[in-house]
Amino acid sequence: MRALFPGSIVARTTVAIIALALLVGLVFGSAAAVLIQRGEKERLGARLGELLSTVETTARIACFVQDTALAREIGTGLMNNHVVAGVRIVSDKAPLYEQRRSEAPKAADETIAISRKLTSPFNERETVGEIWLYASAAEIQAQAWTYTRFILLVLALEVALVAAAVAWVVFNLITRPIKGISDELHRMETRTGLRLHVPQGNQQDEIGRLVGDVNALIAELTGLIDTERRLRIEREQSERRLALIFEKVDAGIFEVDATGRLRSWNPAFARTLGTPAQPPDLHALLPQQEEPLNELIRQSLDSGELREADLQLKDAAGGPDKWIEISLTPVDQDMLQGVINDITGRKRTEMAAQHLATRDTLTGLLNRRGFDQALSAARARRLRDPGLEIALLLIDLDFFKQVNDRHGHEAGDTVLRRVAAVLEQAVRRTDHVGRFGGDEFAIVLIGVDEPARAGQIAEAIIAALREPIPIGEDLQAQIGASIGITFAGGDSDSSAAMLRRADEAMYAAKQAGRSQARLAPAPEPG
Amino acid sequence: MASLLPHLLAVLVALLPGTIGAARAEPLVVIVNPASGVEKLSREEAVNIFMGRYRKLPSGILAFPIDIGSQSPERQQFYRLLVRKDLPEIDAYWARLVFSGQTSPPLQAPDGATAVQLVASNRSAIAYVDRALVDARVKVVIDFGRAAKP
Repeated sequence: MRALFPGSIVARTTVAIIALALLVGLVFGSAAAVLIQRGEKERLGARLGELLSTVETTARIACFVQDTALAREIGTGLMNNHVVAGVRIVSDKAPLYEQRRSEAPKAADETIAISRKLTSPFNERETVGEIWLYASAAEIQAQAWTYTRFILLVLALEVALVAAAVAWVVFNLITRPIKGISDELHRMETRTGLRLHVPQGNQQDEIGRLVGDVNALIAELTGLIDTERRLRIEREQSERRLALIFEKVDAGIFEVDATGRLRSWNPAFARTLGTPAQPPDLHALLPQQEEPLNELIRQSLDSGELREADLQLKDAAGGPDKWIEISLTPVDQDMLQGVINDITGRKRTEMAAQHLATRDTLTGLLNRRGFDQALSAARARRLRDPGLEIALLLIDLDFFKQVNDRHGHEAGDTVLRRVAAVLEQAVRRTDHVGRFGGDEFAIVLIGVDEPARAGQIAEAIIAALREPIPIGEDLQAQIGASIGITFAGGDSDSSAAMLRRADEAMYAAKQAGRSQARLAPAPEPG
Repeated sequence: MASLLPHLLAVLVALLPGTIGAARAEPLVVIVNPASGVEKLSREEAVNIFMGRYRKLPSGILAFPIDIGSQSPERQQFYRLLVRKDLPEIDAYWARLVFSGQTSPPLQAPDGATAVQLVASNRSAIAYVDRALVDARVKVVIDFGRAAKP
């Protein structure tokens, strides 16, 4: 039924009521038909009785005198009643009259038959005959049907009227108010101040409450929309502010995914690293720093926290190196926010300070402090890797004091710079050369293949420093070098102990006649 | 005592409601022809014959009932005695039977003497008359004054 009238409550309700009323009517009609049929049978029986009473006197006479003509007269008279299906008059001696309509009774119970004994007109005690009357079953049926039809007609009329009345009531009391609300709601836009109107007469009932609730809902909704709109404006303003910051800030801000692909960046980013190519890849902007970058991304994603690193960028054009500080914060599992700062200036300052602290200003070699750091670092490496042999060479210049005294400090400084150059040429880049002050130099050899190698280097240095050193026009200085050598021992060995051993060996070399190298005895094990 | 009874009966009849005149002192009798072969007749037989049920006398010969007039005191008294009905009822009864044509009412004699004459001359005839009119030519088969009870 919902499929029949999807849009009309009235139609649906009416059809439902009609269907129900028809059902009820059918039940009552059926009951009525049965009752009517029964009643009709009784009524017919009574009618037959009356007919019988009408003709009884004459029938008594006919039987008394056995007058067949009179009996026939009575019989035909009775047969003129259409309810009478048959008549039989019998006197005590012989049948006087018998007549049946053509349609024979189908079954005994379908027929009503009443009979009456006939007494003599002159003697009530003497029976002179009997009369039978038969009623037509078809006639009973037809009569009953007539009444049933009438009652069904009345019922149908009532059903129709009730259905119409209910439809009218439903339409006026329910559908029309609801349709009014529905139409109003349908046309309504979500603007503040709009309200549904309660239909007339529905203020106190469910419809009134419905309208009230809907109005409350609308008010709440418009309030929410207002709030939302205000928040949106605030958010837009805030976004504009952030965008302005994003555009104008000095720091490079960017978003990058786990593979290094850039999502977004600000102008400062492009100024620092250059405008990304298509597709924008952070690796391309950080040449030769792929490994540290990937490591940084991985660490940040794994920890879920901010990770930062300083990266040194070689300048492709051969200019000075550039330093940037990069920090990454994961936004989600695959995306990171990053900030880069150009820290080249700071780095240079830092390195200059570092240089100042650890370098000898005259020769550019490590000073005492820088050398101690280098030695400690080398020893630390050896502790982790016992196979790594480390040799310490302590070099003392011979006859330097004479050069200084004879030719002045200028010449002395020239000699010292020359010595420094010789020493740096004699060792690998991974080795460290330092000047302890005065004419005392030291070398740390890292990864000496065999002890003899340290001796060879020492000999090469001695040989090189035996050559005269030009100190001015036609002037040469003749110096030499005495070298003490020692190797790093076990865990208990120390920088101080190594320096002491090397110093002793160097002293021994001087005592032995200068310009030679001496190996210090191996330290006590343990 | 025997002579007192008819008088008493007459008094009783006179007291009955209806049109029976006080002059009717003589009781009625039913008479037949002596040759009819009928000696005695019961009241029921008389009813059957006079009301047209039987067409024959108990002896087997055809019955030929005779009424006296249509509104005569004799007729009135006879049917009152015989079936306790008034003349209009009797006439209504006959009206139905005459209509059918099968059964006829008794022949009507103008008076008692004629009736006696008819009975005397016809052996099928049967009639009711005043007892005083009875003579040797006819035979009394029912004496209401003696046998019949009101």
